[in-house]
Amino acid sequence: MKAGSIEQRKKKRGWTDPKRALVILAPMILWWFLAAGFPMLFGFVLGFFEWRGINPQPKFIWFENFVTFFKNSLYREILWRTIWLGVVTTAGTVLCGFGAALLMNMPLKGRGAFRSLWYIPAVTSTVAISQVIQIMIDPFNGVLTRIFNANGWTPINFVDSATWGYIVIIFYSIWKGVGGSALLWLAGLQCIDASLYEAAEMDGANTFQKFLHITLPGLRPIVTYIVITGIIGALQIYEPVAFITNGGPQNGTMVLALKIVKDGFFNFNFGMAGASSLILAIIIFVCSASYYLFSKRRANDA
Amino acid sequence: MPETTFNADKIRAIDPKIRRQKLFRWIGKIAAYAVLTAGAVIMVYPLLYVVMASFYTAKEFNESVLGLFPVAKEPTIDNFKMLFMVGLDTATLGYYTNSILRTLYTTSFSCLSALLGGYVFARLQFKRKEALFLCMLATQMIPGILSVLPMYLQLRAMNLYDTWGVYLLLGGGALNVMGTFLVRQTLEELPISIEEAAKVDGANTACIIFRIVLPMVKTIMIYLVITGAIGVWNDWTTPFYYTESQSLQTIPSALTRLTAFAGKEGQLMDYPLILSFSLLVTVPSVVIFFIFQKHIVRGLMSAGIKG
Repeated sequence: MKAGSIEQRKKKRGWTDPKRALVILAPMILWWFLAAGFPMLFGFVLGFFEWRGINPQPKFIWFENFVTFFKNSLYREILWRTIWLGVVTTAGTVLCGFGAALLMNMPLKGRGAFRSLWYIPAVTSTVAISQVIQIMIDPFNGVLTRIFNANGWTPINFVDSATWGYIVIIFYSIWKGVGGSALLWLAGLQCIDASLYEAAEMDGANTFQKFLHITLPGLRPIVTYIVITGIIGALQIYEPVAFITNGGPQNGTMVLALKIVKDGFFNFNFGMAGASSLILAIIIFVCSASYYLFSKRRANDA
Repeated sequence: MPETTFNADKIRAIDPKIRRQKLFRWIGKIAAYAVLTAGAVIMVYPLLYVVMASFYTAKEFNESVLGLFPVAKEPTIDNFKMLFMVGLDTATLGYYTNSILRTLYTTSFSCLSALLGGYVFARLQFKRKEALFLCMLATQMIPGILSVLPMYLQLRAMNLYDTWGVYLLLGGGALNVMGTFLVRQTLEELPISIEEAAKVDGANTACIIFRIVLPMVKTIMIYLVITGAIGVWNDWTTPFYYTESQSLQTIPSALTRLTAFAGKEGQLMDYPLILSFSLLVTVPSVVIFFIFQKHIVRGLMSAGIKG
């Protein structure tokens, strides 16, 4: 029954033309393969070799790199830190974005201006903005240090402390992500049928009840998307750490993506870098796939 | 319940319950404005700081106490001249041109890819179309870091490391999956009748895509062009990992090499210079954003709805 109408809809939508599709897509896919696909495949296998860049012959060592990864406390620490930093950052961004979206959804003058202003951090470059942060917290000549000294207080050394490093990194990530998150939540909020609110008001619901029974359920489709894409992005956190703390005092704030770069480009330990990348990729893929399956099942229920 | 309007209005005005409701609503609105404005200030502050600090000379910046709102006592516009390519040394001019060229090249290809891909998936039917689309989506789930080292090794093997070939190869090859997705969604909701009429009149595919479909998806294309351009402009990773020579650097990668990863304990950094670089990277993005903010916000929200 449904199949019949889908067939009809498909016929209405376009024409069956595999040759044309091939002509257009083939060059794009080929070029992609050369510029991105092949390295990706290569990346999957790099971890299975011992390759230190100095000896040009990579040696196939099965899972040794992976075993090293999980046996070595530094790597385990880094993995754990990447995960909890990712969760905290995502939670912060998503919640603040949600709050902001609720406010922006109110009939206020200038909400368009607020939406744009809140989104500005997203278009800035982390390299550029972290310069401002460095200027502020530099222990020798930074702005905050100078203010502290001028007032006779002992300056806090932000650079020597992993805790302060976390605080700055988390704050920066939320600062950057809130605008985009708010816009996504806004999109979800505006999809909720306004007449539901009117009906509830006529039945005597107050603001809190409307929120609980209309807003929250209405947002369910978009919650998964926002949270999962947030976590996937946050697990790969790299720029803020690299430019603010550079891994922090003695690897105190090191995260996985940065460690991979350091292993590969600065220590030339290609095998280990490859193994770490693969582990990170698997974790992220599991998250994405779960989201995809979860949302498909939801769509089938609906 | 019969009421004359006259009495009802008077009752509403005096009824304490309704007055209380109005008061709460009013307080709510003020609170909302306060939070949104405070947030907006925080969002904009670092940018403001970069702009204000750019009025300083290096000497004054390092010597004066500086507060949270640095106002230069001896302002100079030397750093701003950088933005307009006035009096730049050859290295910086090189960074600037490289950034512009890279942005133009990569954005063109990425938007072309989105347009063509979106058209193919929206309007053409072929076996295993959805499977292919799913594969494309799957590649997006793989973190970029996995490919960085292999790409470096591959470029070395191809003798393209540290050449223009890096930008040419990588800039053109990206399949703009997100863009294809958005164009496809937009196109699927638009009627196919005009295209069919054109086909009957004997138009070839290229004509259909560029003369008919492109104007139909103009809004989303503008969104893709702007966000794509900002993305490439800010990108420092490709020049940083895959090139070495100064002549190939773009502004953000030059800034990164100047400041990051280096042990800078105790060095007196030339902050105004660094800040003018930061200005150079950020100001064009923000300006473009402001000009096209309607498109960007609209595109972002439609991406959220369809995501």
